[in-house]
Amino acid sequence: MAIIRDMIPAFDLFQPTTVDDAVALLDEHRGQAWVIAGGLDSYDWFKDRIKRPGVVVDLGGIEELRGITDAQGGLEIGAMTTLTEVVNHARIRSEYGVLATAAEHVATPQIRNQGTLGGNISQDTRCWYYRSGWPCYRAGGNTCYAAAPKAMNREHAIMGTNRCVAVSPSDTAPALVALDAKMVVRDGGSPRVHDAEDFFIGPAIDITRMTVIKPGDLLTAIHVPAEWANAQFYYEKIRDRGSWDFQLVSVAAAFQVSGGTITDARIAVGGVAPYPVRLDAVERLVSGTSGGESVATDAGELSIKGGRVLRHNDYKIAMMRNLVRRAVRSVA
Amino acid sequence: MADKLIGTDIAPPDLVAKITGRARYAEDFRPDGMVFAKLLLSPMPHCRVRGVDVSRALAMDGVIDILRAEEVPSREGPRESCLTDEPHYEGEPVLAVAAITEEIAAAAIEAIDVDFEPLPFVLDPLDSLRPGGPTAYNGGNYFARLPDAESGDPSVFQDFKWTEADFVEVDAGRRPSEAASTRSWEKGEVDAAFAAADLVLEEVIVHQSVTHHPMEPRTNMAYWENGKLYAHVSTQSAQATKGALAGAIGIDADDVVVIAEYCGGGFGSKIAGSTVMQIPALFSRKINRPVMLRITRYEENYVGRARPGFQAWVKMAFRNDGKCTGVDLFIVEEGGAYGSGDNNTAGNIADLIYTPQNMRFRSVSMYTNTPPKAAQRGPGGAQIVSMLEPVLAKAGRELGIDNLQMRLINAPGSDATMGPRNGRFTSVHAIEALEQGAELFDWAGKMELSGRREGSKVTGIGVGLSPYTAGSIGYDGLMVIRPDGKLYVHQGIGNLGTHSISDTARPAAEILGLNWDQVEIVWGDSSLGQPRSSVQAGSQTTHAHTRANHAAGMDAARKIRAIAAQTMGGSPGDYVLDNGRVFRRGTSGMALAQIAERAIQMGGEYDGHELPGDIHAQTRPAAEMLAGEGLMGVAKDNYGRSGSTYSFVAGFAMVELDHETGVVAIKEFVAVTDCGTVVHPRSLAAQVFGGCIQGMGMAMTQRWVFDPQYGVSFANRLYTARPPGFLDMPEDMKWGAVGIADPQSPVGAKGIGEPPVGAGAAALTTAVADAMGGICLCRTPLTPDIILAELEGRAPAFGRLDQHVG
Amino acid sequence: MELWRTAANPWGQDVLTGVSWDLMYAAIILAVAFLVGHAVWIKTRPTKVHAATEDVPPGIPERIQRHSLAARLFHWTMAASMLVLLVTAFVPVLGLQFPWVTIHWIAGAVLTATIVYHIIHSIGWQDFWAMFQIGFGEGMAHLKHIMSPKAPAPKAGKYPFDHRLYHHVLVVVGLGVIATGLLMTVRIDTIFWTRNPYMLADSTWGIVYVIHGICGVALIFFTAAHIYFALRPEKHWITWSMVRGWVDREHYLAHHDPEKWVVTEGAAPGQIEPVEEAPLEAGSAAE
Repeated sequence: MAIIRDMIPAFDLFQPTTVDDAVALLDEHRGQAWVIAGGLDSYDWFKDRIKRPGVVVDLGGIEELRGITDAQGGLEIGAMTTLTEVVNHARIRSEYGVLATAAEHVATPQIRNQGTLGGNISQDTRCWYYRSGWPCYRAGGNTCYAAAPKAMNREHAIMGTNRCVAVSPSDTAPALVALDAKMVVRDGGSPRVHDAEDFFIGPAIDITRMTVIKPGDLLTAIHVPAEWANAQFYYEKIRDRGSWDFQLVSVAAAFQVSGGTITDARIAVGGVAPYPVRLDAVERLVSGTSGGESVATDAGELSIKGGRVLRHNDYKIAMMRNLVRRAVRSVA
Repeated sequence: MADKLIGTDIAPPDLVAKITGRARYAEDFRPDGMVFAKLLLSPMPHCRVRGVDVSRALAMDGVIDILRAEEVPSREGPRESCLTDEPHYEGEPVLAVAAITEEIAAAAIEAIDVDFEPLPFVLDPLDSLRPGGPTAYNGGNYFARLPDAESGDPSVFQDFKWTEADFVEVDAGRRPSEAASTRSWEKGEVDAAFAAADLVLEEVIVHQSVTHHPMEPRTNMAYWENGKLYAHVSTQSAQATKGALAGAIGIDADDVVVIAEYCGGGFGSKIAGSTVMQIPALFSRKINRPVMLRITRYEENYVGRARPGFQAWVKMAFRNDGKCTGVDLFIVEEGGAYGSGDNNTAGNIADLIYTPQNMRFRSVSMYTNTPPKAAQRGPGGAQIVSMLEPVLAKAGRELGIDNLQMRLINAPGSDATMGPRNGRFTSVHAIEALEQGAELFDWAGKMELSGRREGSKVTGIGVGLSPYTAGSIGYDGLMVIRPDGKLYVHQGIGNLGTHSISDTARPAAEILGLNWDQVEIVWGDSSLGQPRSSVQAGSQTTHAHTRANHAAGMDAARKIRAIAAQTMGGSPGDYVLDNGRVFRRGTSGMALAQIAERAIQMGGEYDGHELPGDIHAQTRPAAEMLAGEGLMGVAKDNYGRSGSTYSFVAGFAMVELDHETGVVAIKEFVAVTDCGTVVHPRSLAAQVFGGCIQGMGMAMTQRWVFDPQYGVSFANRLYTARPPGFLDMPEDMKWGAVGIADPQSPVGAKGIGEPPVGAGAAALTTAVADAMGGICLCRTPLTPDIILAELEGRAPAFGRLDQHVG
Repeated sequence: MELWRTAANPWGQDVLTGVSWDLMYAAIILAVAFLVGHAVWIKTRPTKVHAATEDVPPGIPERIQRHSLAARLFHWTMAASMLVLLVTAFVPVLGLQFPWVTIHWIAGAVLTATIVYHIIHSIGWQDFWAMFQIGFGEGMAHLKHIMSPKAPAPKAGKYPFDHRLYHHVLVVVGLGVIATGLLMTVRIDTIFWTRNPYMLADSTWGIVYVIHGICGVALIFFTAAHIYFALRPEKHWITWSMVRGWVDREHYLAHHDPEKWVVTEGAAPGQIEPVEEAPLEAGSAAE
């Protein structure tokens, strides 16, 4: 079959207006249905004719999936809330600044207007071998082209790999891990709640998916708990250009600081693994300290333990180490 | 000349249409019965079509027909056809399908089974130069006459290989031997200059290949009516495209109407249209229906041309006083599937900007199985200044001379010569541009910040000088003052968004004493009458067509005065043209509307029934068509010129390099140009900034990557190819112009499209080196990974000379 | 049912990527059908007990060593690695995802090592040809016995006829899976090398995958059959011999031809091991 791109093949479009209807549709068309939120990831796939779902369920008409509400002291963010709304929301800006900052680093204003928080954390990897439709492991084949000896892999993973070396592209994911957010997932049964760090899965668990979302599942909301509100945050994203670019490495950190001492910390790094990497060991290291330069240096070194580089991504080791160092340094 | 219009900001006539979306580009037309074509692209970098089964596609409802390679013109050798059965790059069009909708055409492409036989391919010219290495063509990697051939013998494919000994040198970081080049020239006493030098610097430098990626892909639509081809083309040039298209498909240029009112950028990749413009022309003739070929961004990545990359070895000799006294440059050029000649320009420009007087240039351009290369804004020049300016700065550092001083000491003046033939110039004001820029930039103040470290951020300061050819001569101007009193300037140049379509008409309006609202620009449709025009490329039009329209304006003014004298008495020389009237001092005279009517009555040369003998044969039919419409101004640019016309841009950049992340932030940027008389300041600013930003992208953010195993490209979308965006640019960007008229043009304006690219790039590569304490990374793009690896002392994973890493 | 899986390679050419997982299900179904069928067949088959030979040749010890400790260790290591390989290969396909690759290649390396050991051991220290002697007449006799219980099962040397057949099939399938498996380790990162999927062409890899897949799927069947027979009551004496190393005189005489498998004292040392008593277990042979 000859290859042609940039032309979306036809599909049956369903536009439910309630979550129940959406879940029912996903159940009815299990295995063929593709869920579309902002469409920024999906349309790329469709345009390239690589993913060709027969049925597309567009969540755009489901009002109950939109908006940000106060819940249990924290916030409940509907999965279809746009990134722009996340960026501009007063409580997110003031109490969960790391999320607002991370969302603001997504692509461009136009994309943030269209893109949703649920879509941003559910999006597929941007490994260009995979996105080019090559029959790699993630696509159900038996090769990782990106890890081949001379492959072009400067944007690929340095940890958490298992056959596949693609990275999680989401900018908001590390921030949500740092905030200990919970993802609410519906299917036919009662809602399941996943911790953010468990929501994102690596290829060791399932090489064809980036998150726990399986066919038939619907991410409905992201719950940001009260515990980390008003913590001291740090977010930084390194990218090749100032807009419309995925991260090379990013760090999102939350520190509970009392009297100049870090009492608790949550640090997550994006762009280095197929999922946002939570740095438990670093968190333990910095807790009880004041986050000075020497602690920061140790934290940076600890963060890159176990990192394993490919041909072109050696720099990510240094970049990750330095970003973690900066995050810790920011407390002092 | 008077400057009522020259040097002022006037909104171009297409502004509203562009802003409101009313502007119609090639893809906006929908004639009755139009069908859509889609292309089947080669999936491999080099292969042969062994067989094609189109039966399933043809059986689909809505599929009209298929156009195959054997139905399109082709030529022997490494010459491009619009469709081919032996593709030489991934993405080369193999066949086209026409269907009543684009969706059906796309589905039909998928229903076609093509049996491709993979053939050996090469992506990096050095691989092709290695003994036993692959070659881009089955016959070899070099297409030329055999060494012992007679002068009339045709070129043939040969293998041009370096020796093992060359590669021993190259692998050790040294340059290959003299015999390793296919092009060479030398001037002065190169060896003596190096022997006598106080400082000799030697560097190995890699410049990346980047795609053009204009906003508008090269979409085309065509249909035939009464034996005439009507082609809606995405092209930089208008009048020149007519002949190019006619020639490509083998018909008479008079049988082609090119409609090209708007073009969403080309940067040199659509100079006279594109290769794919032949497809709808040929396909519509075959099926007798209008055919639209919309090129997508993905396809544009392949068929849209690219700037060739260089791998170069340079040796520069300096005296203790900072003067460069010798340059020895060896360039390997990645020629892509159909070759490139940027390397030659690069050699000449190196000679021009360092004025060494002693220079040796050698180069070899290799065919590779990557998408075709073409001129890209400042071709050859932009690369070489980006590559060499950091070396000049390094010499200054070693000699203890300020970089700006180094730049001034070595800058050319109006007496400069260039290249092996010591070409001369009409005017060179590079030093003035550098001095004006230094003041605008506050060079002295900025240099105090050089190397300053704040936290992890280190400040770097850079300057680069970029020249480029800026104008041709000898084209025709054609205009008519109609009885409505308006001047209709018929423009054969293209509307590329540079505003030259209207700005080059200003001299005529100025001469004729018209206000701008009395001027109409006629452009974009060759059936409306276009004079023989330069291509809208190589920064030619501002120079060439201010002159041509000046000449035609003078012709019109002469005729107006003659008519006035005949009608109102006195001698023509007594008459003044102003405000739409012609009059003697103290009289009200006649309106030009009346003059136009009078011209029609008088006929002869006045209304174009008699034409000058020296206008081009391509101008003549247009003038004949317009004869009798009013008073005609028509003339060839006979002003003449001695020397080449070159413009210069001096770029100044201040950057902050984060030593913990490798990220470069451009904090301030200044560009000052010597482009002669400023015709349109706002448009000039857009050209200077736009070009500089494009150069910054070329040096910093943009990239093009190929998988070495399969030879296919990545970074084939805008978001992965990464042209620079708004946030990559400094908030503080300033520009200036020397504003000294070129003495050899009646208007004094020189072109500006090309040179800003090199200035933006070179200011950056130099500033980044400065922020790294003088270390020249000597490769582009300067992305955070490459910078950080260097700062951290980590060995890069790729080879020193590797291309397509980004 | 699909036999192969194909995919478009990066150049859009269809290349084999492996066997269809339909074959895995087929192998599982076939194995289950065979086991159930065999169990039913045995159950319904009239049994005829062939009396042990009256005249016990002199010098046959009570316990006859069948498998040396080394051979038994080999067998069980191999068995364990094979089971690990099968589980890591097929359970993820069945839907239970877990990080299987590292376990799989390590188990594969263990299997390969045991096989290498086995080949050397069998050539140097075992009666190598005993396994490879298969006569047409013997086969016919077995066929007759299967067709009719009245026909006596022909007595074998050290290795029963069906064991030898099984072994030969396993030689082919096992070597196939090991050879292709070893090639495939080039494609993964190990502690010894980094992966290189481009050592062979796409189409060649396809063949390698298909061979590995066919052999792997076959091993589902053969392993299931092997375990089944090992668990069958009438075979317990053999199973136990793989645990304890010896068979008793009774089973020896019932199933083996003393002329083909010489165990009399004074024979080559190491073949016979004197024992104190002769424990009886697992009843008498059913065949």
